[in-house]
Amino acid sequence: MIERLDLFRSLAARRTDEVVVMTMSATLQWPQVSDHPLDFDFLAFGMGHASDFGLGLALARPERRTIVWKGDGGLLMSLGSLVTLGRYGPENLVVLLLENRTYEMTGGQPLPPGADFAALARAAGVEGGGATGRGTVARLESLEAFEAALGALLTEPGPHFVVLPVATRHPLPPVQHTDHAGRVRALRRALGVE
Amino acid sequence: MSDPGASAALTVEALKGLGMTHALIIPDSESRLLFDRLTSDDDVTVISPTREGESIAIAAGLWTGGARPYVVIQNTGLMEAGDALRGCGLGPRIPLRLVVGWRGYVGAQQGRAPIDSAFTYTEPLLAAWGIPSWHLLSDDDLGALAEMDRTAAATSSPAAVVTGYAFRP
Repeated sequence: MIERLDLFRSLAARRTDEVVVMTMSATLQWPQVSDHPLDFDFLAFGMGHASDFGLGLALARPERRTIVWKGDGGLLMSLGSLVTLGRYGPENLVVLLLENRTYEMTGGQPLPPGADFAALARAAGVEGGGATGRGTVARLESLEAFEAALGALLTEPGPHFVVLPVATRHPLPPVQHTDHAGRVRALRRALGVE
Repeated sequence: MSDPGASAALTVEALKGLGMTHALIIPDSESRLLFDRLTSDDDVTVISPTREGESIAIAAGLWTGGARPYVVIQNTGLMEAGDALRGCGLGPRIPLRLVVGWRGYVGAQQGRAPIDSAFTYTEPLLAAWGIPSWHLLSDDDLGALAEMDRTAAATSSPAAVVTGYAFRP
């Protein structure tokens, strides 16, 4: 298991002008390591759809990379999105799946134990797929493995789908639902489209 | 009065005139010819996700990034996509443009029983969400697309046209 906050610190240290979309418990911890105009908090924007939103964003802004932190519970709510990723995922999209095997935000209820998310992504056509035919799928089980892969994730053509088994020993701060319309306008301003 | 059903060719031209960059569409019986027309047009990027909630969320991401997507969605899919529409449209005030297929309309107009519940709940559902809508029942109604588009922009919120008949070529 990787400590999730360490994972976040690792990406935040290397990230430059990429959009970072996050949802659910990632929205509570990512701000502890990053305060960037291209951070986008997707919490309460639609159950399971963070990577769909990221796919649209990546298609609209091909000049920069879009990175999505998404949970395994959320993926179960939109498993078909893997097939869409395998068909249309652009080269500048990176989906980082935080696999904690629980519905963490609602109290840690367990997920169905048998699902292999990397295998599901491969079966959905992500590996060797996407719009580029160069999609990748990986399961990285340590912080060192993630840091070793990060350079390619930030530069090589994707789409990339990475499963990261995580846990956290840090208490989560309380949820603060902020202005949803304001979040979208702030991101559009940061992207120069508004 | 034109023939029932709008022309797919004229509808695509109208949408392109409004600046459409992407079309999100999952094929259904009524929009079949519109799907064919969109996918054969090199000026439009067509995305067919696996479920309508994906369509809504992808469209929201496209709009946030500066593109101009239109979502072609059957009423049944609209009902399935309720949380995505709430979360990616109504809540954050993203002006999603929706072309809603009205499954059950023809049967209801002909008084065929039983009335399709997808027909029954379509307009009340849009009204409950506060989504303004216009009918696109024939080529005479093509102006509804621009009206829907203007309203979405002016209110910065989703707006819809509802198509009662299958598209003609």
